[in-house]
Amino acid sequence: MRGAGGAEGREAQLTSDAPMVLTAPGPGALQAAALPAERSVRRRARGGLGRHRARAGILLSVPALVLVLFVLIVPIGEAIYYSMTNWNGISAQWVGPSTYTSLFKDPVFWRVLENNGILLVSVPVALAIPLGIAALLHEHVWLWKLFRSLIFLPTAVSWVVIGMIAVRLFAPSGIVNYLLGLFGLARLQTDFLGHEYTAILAVALTFVWSMIGTNTIIFLTGMSTTDPAIYEAARLDGAGRWASFTQITVPMLKRYFQFTFVITMITAFTALFSLIFIMTGGGPGYGTTTLEFFVYQQAFDVGQFGTGAMLGVVLFVLLFGVSLVQLKLLREQQ
Amino acid sequence: MSAAAPGLARRRPAARRAPRGRFRTVWKEARRDPVKVVIFLLLLAVSAGMLYPFLFMILNSLRSENQYLSGTGFSTVSWGQLFANLPVGRELLNSTLVCVASIAIILALSSAAGYAFAKLRFRRQGLLFFAVIGSMMVPLQSIIIPVYVNFAHLHLINTYLGAILVYAGFGTPFATFLMTTFFRGLPDELTEAAACDGLGHAGSFFRVALPMAKPALATVAVLQFIQIWDDLLVGLLFLQEPTNRTITVGLGVLSSGRVVSVPVLMAGSLVSALPAVLVYLFFQRYLVAGLTLGVNR
Repeated sequence: MRGAGGAEGREAQLTSDAPMVLTAPGPGALQAAALPAERSVRRRARGGLGRHRARAGILLSVPALVLVLFVLIVPIGEAIYYSMTNWNGISAQWVGPSTYTSLFKDPVFWRVLENNGILLVSVPVALAIPLGIAALLHEHVWLWKLFRSLIFLPTAVSWVVIGMIAVRLFAPSGIVNYLLGLFGLARLQTDFLGHEYTAILAVALTFVWSMIGTNTIIFLTGMSTTDPAIYEAARLDGAGRWASFTQITVPMLKRYFQFTFVITMITAFTALFSLIFIMTGGGPGYGTTTLEFFVYQQAFDVGQFGTGAMLGVVLFVLLFGVSLVQLKLLREQQ
Repeated sequence: MSAAAPGLARRRPAARRAPRGRFRTVWKEARRDPVKVVIFLLLLAVSAGMLYPFLFMILNSLRSENQYLSGTGFSTVSWGQLFANLPVGRELLNSTLVCVASIAIILALSSAAGYAFAKLRFRRQGLLFFAVIGSMMVPLQSIIIPVYVNFAHLHLINTYLGAILVYAGFGTPFATFLMTTFFRGLPDELTEAAACDGLGHAGSFFRVALPMAKPALATVAVLQFIQIWDDLLVGLLFLQEPTNRTITVGLGVLSSGRVVSVPVLMAGSLVSALPAVLVYLFFQRYLVAGLTLGVNR
């Protein structure tokens, strides 16, 4: 059965130069998948094949569920419970929801959220630059495929390695300070990682740089799905490059903006632990301690497992809230 | 615009035969549309900006501490120091072991569950689907403390199994989402026919659907490889012994521990980055497919 029709075709498609696009479900796939299934269960389960199918379905899906329960679902429940206790990892005393009110009164917590805020502000920059680069690549000039591969390269490199190099580039004798001097901005030269607000700036800049590859590729994919005939029509109507970019490309990429915004924000809030660990260790002071780094610090440096769990819950709720808003915005547009 | 004036890259077959002709075409194109020259130069500058940090890493790994400070000369002394300070071979082996085992679990679980969600009908299917896929929303930091304590009770800290289970569990929801999406794209007639023809639903999954899913499986594998290879947090907590550390964790610990010279760190960075970069070079399009899949979510 291996040669069964589509397999060959699909692989042939992969070896072509176009970026592979797997068939994706429409918005709201979560619900769409659930409903018709539930409805047809009773009707079909009576037949012999239906019962067989139901048994196969459970056999095939339960292993994944068990692992996810074990590593994600039960632990998030535990995190919510332990967030309301005084917990050192061995014994826990129940305190109650008042742990949250005392957290919200803690100025350190707000200082940490401020760092998350700064990273959030850098997200639009991490979208704007890749949008520009994708537009340049979409002109298909000489060697554009080589440029595309080079620009996408950092996606494969770990935050540890990127952080390790960034520390040297932001050092007093590093290239960033050298370039500032070169462009007559010598009074901005500083030991970036040595001061609270310049350190978070250095982390944010490194983060933006690292997201360029991923976001450029996503925008480029979006641009390549736009019908070339639209551009041709615009050109015949006398629209220049800039006009087609602002009037056609940007509006067509709306969905892609939402997607890159969400993944870039999730990255900023949940994937920068290693970068911060290597670049600054959260310092100076709380200068680069973001919420996710604070979780680690509270639990594994300070030994306050309860506080750590609570911060984890806050992070979860924060991301969940933003995703819900995002989903709602998407719905309203359709 | 590319439709009106076909991109130069597309003329490659002719150009391959006569390289001179290719450059002449480029030149002609440039004269006709000088903006393209500007765009080319801009892209050159952007690429330089993306490559500079890697160049910095490679060049400075080939210097001694003093050569790094003065910025002149080259030697391989730092590479010797790296191998003396860091059990590189062992750590690369650990990384490979953890990656391969985690990815194997993820592929097995996500393809089976994906098939069940896309092609089968059973009681509580919606609930199961929501539980597995919805877990994508849980950030690692939110569950890492309870998982750490649970695993400590089960004596899974500092075992490969512990780290593998965390990586596999954390990777499974997105992988299942990807596989469900893929299987939904296969025609029902195909899998139904196989099931009715006596293969049964398990047979239809193993013999019909799975062989067709190779591209999707490759996408999952590549995405997960890069994620797990590059991870620090899970490794830092679940594999703490120098003998079972992954290369990324070894490097992280090296940088934060005793003072080691910058060139040694750069050499270590290069070694740890190389496998993921090679995977990227060979399987770039699977990675791109995985990244852009969520757009229409």
